Amino acid sequence: MADLSINDLALRYGDRETLKGVSVTVPAGKAVALLGPSGSGKTSLLRAVAGLETPYRGSICIGDNVLFDAAAQLDQPPEARGLGLVFQNYALWPHRTVYENIAYGLKLRHVRSAEITRRVEDALERIGLAHLAKHYPHQLSGGQQQRVALARALIYEPAVILLDEPLANLDMKLREEARAWLRHLIVSLKLSALLVTHDQIEAMAIADSMALLNEGRFEQQGSPIELYTKPATLFAAEFMGNNNRLEGTLVEHADQRAVIEVMGARLEGISRTTAAIGGKATGIIRLEKVILGGGPGANRLLMTLKAQMYVGERWELLFAKEALMIRTYVSAPLKHELYHVEFPPHAMWIF
Amino acid sequence: MTALAALVPLSVVLYQSFLNAPLTAAGTQLGLEAYRSVFGDEDFAVAVGTTLLLSSCMTLIAVPLGSVLAFLMVRTDLPARAWLEPVILIPVVVSTLVLAFGYVFAIGPSGILTTWFKAGTGLQAWNLHSLSIIVVIAGLLHVPYVYVYAATELRGLDSAHEEVARASGARPWKVALDVSLPMATPAIFFAGVLVFFLGFELFGLPLVLGSPDGVLVLTTYLFKLPGKAMLPPYQLMAVVAAIMVAIAMPLVLMLRILLREPQRYVWSHSNAKPAAPLKLGHWRWPAFVAVALWLGAAVLVPLGGLILRSFAGTDGEGVALWKSLGLGHYRDLLQHADIVRSVVNTLEIGLIGGAAAVTFYAAVALAIRRWRSRWTRAVDVLITVARAMPGLVAGLAILLTLLFFKPIASLRHTLISVWLGYAVVWLATGMRLVSTALLKFSPELQDAARSMGASSARVHLDVTLPLLRTGILASWLVILLIFVREYATAVFLLGPGTEVVGSLLVSLWGAGATDLVAALAVINVGMIGLGLLVAGGLGVRLHG
Repeated sequence: MADLSINDLALRYGDRETLKGVSVTVPAGKAVALLGPSGSGKTSLLRAVAGLETPYRGSICIGDNVLFDAAAQLDQPPEARGLGLVFQNYALWPHRTVYENIAYGLKLRHVRSAEITRRVEDALERIGLAHLAKHYPHQLSGGQQQRVALARALIYEPAVILLDEPLANLDMKLREEARAWLRHLIVSLKLSALLVTHDQIEAMAIADSMALLNEGRFEQQGSPIELYTKPATLFAAEFMGNNNRLEGTLVEHADQRAVIEVMGARLEGISRTTAAIGGKATGIIRLEKVILGGGPGANRLLMTLKAQMYVGERWELLFAKEALMIRTYVSAPLKHELYHVEFPPHAMWIF
Repeated sequence: MTALAALVPLSVVLYQSFLNAPLTAAGTQLGLEAYRSVFGDEDFAVAVGTTLLLSSCMTLIAVPLGSVLAFLMVRTDLPARAWLEPVILIPVVVSTLVLAFGYVFAIGPSGILTTWFKAGTGLQAWNLHSLSIIVVIAGLLHVPYVYVYAATELRGLDSAHEEVARASGARPWKVALDVSLPMATPAIFFAGVLVFFLGFELFGLPLVLGSPDGVLVLTTYLFKLPGKAMLPPYQLMAVVAAIMVAIAMPLVLMLRILLREPQRYVWSHSNAKPAAPLKLGHWRWPAFVAVALWLGAAVLVPLGGLILRSFAGTDGEGVALWKSLGLGHYRDLLQHADIVRSVVNTLEIGLIGGAAAVTFYAAVALAIRRWRSRWTRAVDVLITVARAMPGLVAGLAILLTLLFFKPIASLRHTLISVWLGYAVVWLATGMRLVSTALLKFSPELQDAARSMGASSARVHLDVTLPLLRTGILASWLVILLIFVREYATAVFLLGPGTEVVGSLLVSLWGAGATDLVAALAVINVGMIGLGLLVAGGLGVRLHG
């Protein structure tokens, strides 16, 4: 097993730059999630690795095996790269049975038929669909199709498995089950996987590390915990989690701390800003980090309670002060109209 | 209305088939005499056999060629795909009658190419009029039908299926054989049944190419039944027509079922871009040459022969062709009042008749959408029944109907009779065209207007019609082209005042006026070409 490394990859469709030079490594036996909004280039990157798109710059290697190198004009066709590919819609071949779908990759590799039977039956057993071997894909539920697609991609033991939104077509309940199942599979089989998703929970749950893409560039790479608790950019901070946004003016800036003025109140937070004193700055704080203080105090704003929503287990509250809207969670509904809403300095980032 | 259009002519044909004499004659009686007479005719049995042979063989030729052509055009980097597409469809938009003339002029016993071949090699030339050559030509001419259906299916195919196959290690050709073509199988099978049905209906080709050697199929058998009799033996013709409908019906029903069968191959669309075309590598040019050879045989030879012949002075052997070129035949056309009238009539039936037909189809389609009840099914079945009448049979049915109902018998001498025949024969096609246009916008758009307080009429006026305008216009253009191309339906209705180019071509050919036929056929092609240009300008795609 070797690492998959992508170096300075750049891709364009017509005159649209889809990837503007991205580098990322998938360590052997680890899963990396490519996360980003639609149009950020994450699927293009995955397709480039699969050999379905041709970048104009950069290289893709697995250990010593160069799959693509623009400078050396080297471009292995998809069938020569030995990767596994799973699409969002699974792309199971409708004219082949479940068994034939899974066996195809082995057939192409001229594996002896007794061996094929053994391995496919093994795989079917492992995904719990042994009784459906003779069925056609359209007779399967979405969750079953998804497992078959995975088994089909894993059967010939590819160096890296590429997953393009593999859970997006499942409904909510199934998706959570499949998520756990997929993570278990990756850990127990020590798979190297590159996963594309727009769902951060999915990315955090399945992957060992994440790479956040925005407009063809990486905003931040790191472990799920790093990305969630230490966002490097405004985009990263806003993309992850559910956030409140406070627009203000930068009034103090020293080392790791910064202070913004919002509606006459001074709010302190962790500095991520490069703005000058007196310039505009933005405070970002996760919903669950906002707390309610008993009275006036530091880092607090007096706000009006506008709405309370029961969202199961807890209540989501909406506070307002003029145009500023702040949301937070509490465990029980509130009775008064005015509250001192606190933004703890260690939980707010100032960009 | 639909019931009237589809059922009445068919019933009259059935009724006539059980009479022992033409229904216009006095003292007719019910009986099976006509059936006995037809089944006793040796020629009839031969015609049935030949028809089946022709249909099956041309299907066997057209289906593989059409599928491969579709794959090459849609999924590979075949050279010059952009301009090949419209050329490929020529055999669909030009009638087989006209192309058949072209083959006679080009490679018939004294055709242009045949003459050169004989002069060049001194060998005995081929016999165009033999059944085997007719079968091959029919097969080659129906390749585009398979192409259209297979290509549409291949285009709609989610490329993820192919990409996964490649990622698991399959080379491009393996992908085509294992994934792409198998997934297009339903469409290809449908096209196969369609081509078989078209072969069964085929009239112009066997008439022109088969007659010299006495090759008879059902359509030409029916056409030649009247013979030299003063009063056509309508009862015998009706029997043949009824039998043809009986054979066609299961085929048409099969096509319907195939169309309606819930698509088990439906997949949610991925937002991935279509796969880059497969690189053919060093197969690129051989594949192109193969396509070009087919185009040469199916398009260039007949059209070239036709056009050359229309300008050539004579068609005798040994005459220097290039020296005799001129516009003589076209000038001759103007001398014949019936020919000039046929051109005008064809334009009228295409422009006005086409518009009327589309209006009728649209009204029926809208009504069906409104009812959504048992009637819908009934109308559906009726449309299918109408399709089971080959053009020639429909023409005969309209003629008999007009003879049967005395009050409207005078319509027989007007273009309305021809229009009725056309409208009925192309009912299914027209309905499909219009329905496709109707389906393109969702009923929610209408519902939204209704819920805002617009009356049903206002909804149609303010929402439906504006949205449908382009679709209806496109349908009209397609119907126009079809009506200009059509010939078989009008053959039995041909008379002073009802001449159209198609039926007149058949009649002129029968009279041996080859010079006039060549020129008039070229004019027909020109009319279609003009229509195609307009259609192309509006972005309308023509489907058989």
